[in-house]
Amino acid sequence: MALTLPSLLSTSSAASSPCLPPHRTLFTGPSTLSLNRSCRRRRSGPRASVAFDSPAEAGERGGSSSGELLLEVRGLSAVISESKKEVLRSVDLTVHQGEIHAIMGRNGSGKSTFSKVLAGHPQYEVTGGVVTFKGQNLLDMDPEERSHAGLFTSFQDPVEIPGISNYDFLLMAYNARQKKLNRPEIGPIEFFSVVDPKLAMLKMEKGFLDGHVNGASGGQKKRSEILQLAVLGADLCILDEIDSGLDVDALQDVAKAINGLLTPDNSILMITHYRRLLDYIKPAYVHIMEDGRIIKTGDASLAKQLEEGGFKAVSAT
Amino acid sequence: MYSLNTPPHPLLLPPPLLTMSSTTTTSHLLHPFHHHHLPKPKPSPLRLRLRSALSDPRLLHLAEKLEDSVSPSLPLLHNLRLSSSDSILSKSWPTRRDDPFRYTDLSLLKSSQIEPSPPSPSSPLPDEPQLFPNRFYILDGHVIPSLSSLPNLPNGVYVGGISGVPDRIAGSVLDSFSGFRDGDLFWDLNGIGAPDVAVVYVPEGCRVEEPLHLKYVFGGGGGERRLAVSNPRVLVVVERGGEIGIVEEFGGGGGDGFYWANSVAEVAIGEGGRVSHSYVQRQELGSAHTKWTLVQQGSSSTYELVEISTGGKLSRHNLHIQQLGPDTVTELSSFHMSRSDQLLDLHSKLVLDHPRGYARQLHKCVVSHSSGKVVFDGNIQVNRYAQQTDAGQQTRSLPLTPRPCINVKPNLKIVADDVKCSHGAAISNLEDSQQLFYFKARGIDTQTARDAVVFSFGAEVLSRLPYEALRKSLASDLKGLIADKETIHLPDEI
Ligand SMILES: Nc1ncnc2c1ncn2[C@@H]1O[C@H](COP(=O)(O)OP(=O)(O)OP(=O)(O)O)[C@@H](O)[C@H]1O
Ligand SMILES: [Mg+2]
Repeated sequence: MALTLPSLLSTSSAASSPCLPPHRTLFTGPSTLSLNRSCRRRRSGPRASVAFDSPAEAGERGGSSSGELLLEVRGLSAVISESKKEVLRSVDLTVHQGEIHAIMGRNGSGKSTFSKVLAGHPQYEVTGGVVTFKGQNLLDMDPEERSHAGLFTSFQDPVEIPGISNYDFLLMAYNARQKKLNRPEIGPIEFFSVVDPKLAMLKMEKGFLDGHVNGASGGQKKRSEILQLAVLGADLCILDEIDSGLDVDALQDVAKAINGLLTPDNSILMITHYRRLLDYIKPAYVHIMEDGRIIKTGDASLAKQLEEGGFKAVSAT
Repeated sequence: MYSLNTPPHPLLLPPPLLTMSSTTTTSHLLHPFHHHHLPKPKPSPLRLRLRSALSDPRLLHLAEKLEDSVSPSLPLLHNLRLSSSDSILSKSWPTRRDDPFRYTDLSLLKSSQIEPSPPSPSSPLPDEPQLFPNRFYILDGHVIPSLSSLPNLPNGVYVGGISGVPDRIAGSVLDSFSGFRDGDLFWDLNGIGAPDVAVVYVPEGCRVEEPLHLKYVFGGGGGERRLAVSNPRVLVVVERGGEIGIVEEFGGGGGDGFYWANSVAEVAIGEGGRVSHSYVQRQELGSAHTKWTLVQQGSSSTYELVEISTGGKLSRHNLHIQQLGPDTVTELSSFHMSRSDQLLDLHSKLVLDHPRGYARQLHKCVVSHSSGKVVFDGNIQVNRYAQQTDAGQQTRSLPLTPRPCINVKPNLKIVADDVKCSHGAAISNLEDSQQLFYFKARGIDTQTARDAVVFSFGAEVLSRLPYEALRKSLASDLKGLIADKETIHLPDEI
């Protein structure tokens, strides 16, 4: 389907972040990858974000097709702004283009906190560490700049916003990006042709667009987050329990949609409790989080181990 | 029938007689007026009595001018005028020492020269899109049937001035004047100065499908320190099982006209009746707006009010709801936005005296200007016999200035023991809000995100308006007010 879509998607990501340093700099930093794999670093120029119309792709990705360094987290520590309680203790994580990662871990181990700190949530204060995203210091950026740079976080429990329809919200977010890229903003009528195919992809009713943001049921909220992702595009999407509250069919729809958004260049960091999701979106790396840090990293077999033996089986000793 | 000399407190009287049967009663009721009061010569009773009373001279002068400004030949209003002039004898201008006005600065009224508004329309009506087919205009308190349009009213429904009230319903209409005695000075001034009463009468069992839009228009004609006062008055009578939606809309000109709108609406709902009341106050920014809404709810009746107030320099709404029987449903929602040097005040009182009432009140306010003020004094009183009442009261404020002036006093007073009650008062912090972060996380710039969160805050109340056309119109108004950065002073980002 030929969409007159955000040409932002077909242009270089350099356009969306004019101060992006050359990618070369990415490789001068510490590169203490804990993963034992061959990392094929492509030196081609910056590339497109999400390609919208790529066919669904369900195979395992990441291990053999890693691209350039996308996100590098080193020693990230954070406290809750109000209470100063420590919630992240020196987290390390590296994601390359095209990789799929999963984070698993007990309730309260800090998974959502990690995703919100990456998104720039003011509830948390970073007390140490470095986060580099596409060569830029992520921690220096406002949440909206992180979004423009290509980071999309789907929240575990996105907040309800009465009075603002899903359609208006999508349009606002879309136009914010257009503006950032010095592109003409789009009118509410034209915008429908942008949203409509995404709706279809997610098997969502058009009526959904009239409802207010995150006012729908748990499952609808999750679809709605993926709809936003589909409309806005991203280089790295963090999906926090995108599978919770979804029935089997809905999970398949959502997983299919996510796979449909994947390209060789964008990456996923998903947080989940269930292996079920990993059957649909296959990660090359699984990380276990415990008490605010990543205690173990392995391949998809770690998830299986976890399911069979519980957290004890994978806990650090 | 209500009479001035009835000694007991009117609120303790049994339900007013919405069920009174018509013909014989009517003539009986009307008689005394024809006999005793119609050929009333001047000087008026008010003047005579006020002269001899120890009253506030400025007030006396105003009351006299108001009395002179109205036509004396409306027999159905005689009692109202008489009781009001009686009552005003004991009144003086409220000061900050009077509890109901502790936070409400009336200096705009006190420091202005006040004249009754000129009797004839002084400005043409704005040409504006019409939201409802049933429209009734009230210009400076005068009903204007020629501008009104009432195509969709069922048989038996009356909407019009008090002199046109058909005989068959005159008794009911008269009896539905509450005879309320706890009114303040403004209540009394309206009783004296109302040139007419717009009567809305819904007969037994009649459901009025289309809402009735009451448009209050004000000619202004004042100036700096000079306000033209007018006293619109409405009486809504819904007989047993009747239903109607009323939209009261004040102002909307968007200018900064100088006038004082001192209005009263009385609503009497018979057993099982239902009134959905939308009240929109977008008066001009130089104006003063004082309003009483007095509601009497018969058993099993429903009263729903949604108030959106964003206008006026001084705006005071007194809302009193009296429950006259069990099983009533009362839902009150209000949104106030003070976005310039303006005071918006709601004093509400809901008294529950009968079992199994259901009551909800939601008050929300935004103060977006450093001299803006909001006052809320909300009382819900669950008395001894109001067992199994389910009452809830919530107030939420969203300050957008560093030192906002917001006085909220929610008060849920419970005497009965078998009741379900909930209440809450919260002050939201825009900068810390999850919503603001959510917008930003989707790439929306801070200013747009703030505006959207403020809009969303108001939209919770706006969305309760039962009519889409009105919702849309007010939503776009609200967006405009929020985006108008000349009047909005948001704190700088920290
Ligand atoms: N804003 C906050 N205020 C107070 N405590 C917080 C806050 N954010 C996180 N925490 C605490 O930090 C810890 C980690 O929470 P987090 O939500 O990140 O866990 P999680 O791994 O996502 O858990 P779950 O699997 O249940 O979603 C918990 O103990 C939680 O209570
Ligand atoms: Mg979580």
